[in-house]
Amino acid sequence: MSAKAETQSISLEYDLPHPPVKVWRALTDPQLLGEWLMVNDMRPLVGHSFTFKAPPTPWWDGIVHCEVLEIDLHKRLRYSWRSGPESSPLDTVVTWTLTPTPSGGTRLALEHSGFLPANAFAFDGASKGWQRMIGQGLTELLARAA
Amino acid sequence: MQRRDTVFRALADPSRRAILERLTRGEAAVKDITARFDISQPAVSQHLATLRRAGLVSERRDGRLVYYRVDPNGLRPLIDWIAQYQAFWLERLDRLQASLKEMDE
Repeated sequence: MSAKAETQSISLEYDLPHPPVKVWRALTDPQLLGEWLMVNDMRPLVGHSFTFKAPPTPWWDGIVHCEVLEIDLHKRLRYSWRSGPESSPLDTVVTWTLTPTPSGGTRLALEHSGFLPANAFAFDGASKGWQRMIGQGLTELLARAA
Repeated sequence: MQRRDTVFRALADPSRRAILERLTRGEAAVKDITARFDISQPAVSQHLATLRRAGLVSERRDGRLVYYRVDPNGLRPLIDWIAQYQAFWLERLDRLQASLKEMDE
């Protein structure tokens, strides 16, 4: 697999009946953000490193490591999103874009980018966790299945 | 997501993981597996049924014997991060909308 493989993204867009200032708060206030996303120590400052924490599972420690990459107040928020079983195999970026709508609401766009092509990435990402979990045999089998 | 939950539940049990790991080295009948583990034949059969329902294991009948093998396709839901995160964000953004309704202006 080439290390320069093209990446894939998830894009979602929502029209919200709330002004950008309010949506921004829900995205950047750690308390509010924790209510709908995950427990976190986010601060809207470029360079700030923080984590999201979810309950751990047998295959995931439940921690997402982030760093604020870009802040454009009430308009755009971008942070890195690194996670996955051991050795941070998932190295992605989350971008929130807020655009005011004529009715006083917000068009909220989420882009989660940087996923390597599903199979190659997924296998790379999952393999270490799997090795620990159920042994080398299954890992080799996955390699053949990918 | 439901499909994944079934897979994860099936793998949450150490005996089932051990059985699955054994099957990665080749297909086996219940008695072959029972011989290697300190669990009863009915228990092994039940674990195999759970693994089969989760799509992790398929079976092949040969006369009176049933042979089990790993079905690698069953593991796909575990390794498709894009699908996982798509479902994750859809669910979380529903929650965001609920949170926004409850927030002060």
